[in-house]
Amino acid sequence: MKWLKSPGKMAHKYSLHVVYFCTGCGIIEIPPVITARWDAERFGVVPVATPRQANLFLITGYVSVKTLKAVIRTYEQMPEPKYTVGFGSCPINGGMYWDSYNTIKHLDKYIPVDGWIAGCMPRPEAVFIAVTHLWTLIDKDMANGYIRYRKNYAAYRKNQETLFGELGWPPLYQESATSAPEAPSGHLPRSGDVRIKK
Amino acid sequence: MVTTILQSILSVLTALAIGLLLMGLFRIIMARIHWRYGPPLIQPLIDIARCFTQRGISHGAMFDLGLILSLAGSLAVVLFMPFGNWCPLSNSGGLLVILYLMLLMPFGMALSGGAGGNPNISIGISRKLILSLGYEVPFLLIVLAAMTQYKSISLVEIVQHQQNSHWAILSWPLCLPGIAYFLILPAMLGIRPFDVDSAPQEISSGLMVEYGGKYLALAHIEHAFGLSITIALFVNLFLGGAGNIVIFFLKMLVVFVLGLFVHAVFPRFRVEQAVKYLWKWPTALAFVGLVVIMVMR
Repeated sequence: MKWLKSPGKMAHKYSLHVVYFCTGCGIIEIPPVITARWDAERFGVVPVATPRQANLFLITGYVSVKTLKAVIRTYEQMPEPKYTVGFGSCPINGGMYWDSYNTIKHLDKYIPVDGWIAGCMPRPEAVFIAVTHLWTLIDKDMANGYIRYRKNYAAYRKNQETLFGELGWPPLYQESATSAPEAPSGHLPRSGDVRIKK
Repeated sequence: MVTTILQSILSVLTALAIGLLLMGLFRIIMARIHWRYGPPLIQPLIDIARCFTQRGISHGAMFDLGLILSLAGSLAVVLFMPFGNWCPLSNSGGLLVILYLMLLMPFGMALSGGAGGNPNISIGISRKLILSLGYEVPFLLIVLAAMTQYKSISLVEIVQHQQNSHWAILSWPLCLPGIAYFLILPAMLGIRPFDVDSAPQEISSGLMVEYGGKYLALAHIEHAFGLSITIALFVNLFLGGAGNIVIFFLKMLVVFVLGLFVHAVFPRFRVEQAVKYLWKWPTALAFVGLVVIMVMR
């Protein structure tokens, strides 16, 4: 029945092709998830080697400033609709790197995140819980990170440029970048964040 | 006229359905070999539906046209290929047309990928073309041996001959090219140990690296056609075809599962190892078979 109503949504739910961005120690939990021990392929969750084929972006571990540039580029290369999940406490609030000079503390200031898996480290089962939660979110149209990114692109771009100075690639969405709407309060740069001036 | 058109459409749909079913079985059987549960059987269909709803990014006219050329080539081959007793264009063409048209599939993908401009694609294309160079030599010898033995270039007549006597792979001189075809089958299907051109761990899935959205869906469909064509040709040439589609599918399934066991067990060849292997054992077997057939005539 659901398949007849919105086949695209259902297909997205049961065919999550994932880019595992191995930024930190979190990636060590992923091999058990995708191999014989926990077998993510039952849920249609398959790792792919390129962002063009993916629709789920899993950021496993702390994000250093240098990695963030690659994270943003990879996210922008993924075709829409796309979902992002932060894995571990480091992308949420810095985790054990809360006072590091070289890691960002809040990933959702730079790219939109649809869900978090808290923990240090989360168990591999947590990935499955996240996937089933993501299914619910997709059903309710609440996994709308890519829409938020397009809508608030100016604010996200501003945050990215505050961090990096010059980004080195043109804006993804021309029209919203030039119109410069109000920045949402949740995504304003906070104190304690790293700034690199060129 | 109308029946021919209907038969063509039906034949194309059958080939696509068989290809998708084989892709689904591929993932399930691989999962069971790994002691996993595995995805549902219709997972390739879900993936294709998902790809069609995503926004694909084109890399220019050549990117689109090459993909369409590849797809058109495989569609044309399907029309000349007997599936059981269905063969819409059985009166014309024959093996030579199939040989020519089968070249369009890797060629179109290479043209299409070349427009992508990613360095991984260039590596993937060069590997794919080197690999096709590797398996085309034994493949031509094999087909030549079969054509010489049965004194016919028509695939339908070759199938008829085998159904009147016995399967080619069980008859004396033709068993050598038959074994050679089975040896090059993984290379033609692009599975291990010959998945050098689409190695996800080395070159980020090579040729496919820039495909997303509907382009990826079309590439999946082209892959499904390629699977069913390559295995159907083996069944027609050496396993005696079949009187109806069910027996034909069962024969294809046996060949595919045997190939899958090879895929599950072996690691990947390097490119030069693959070519060395392809030009040594299958070529030698096919060549000896061809010589014996020529001498025995």
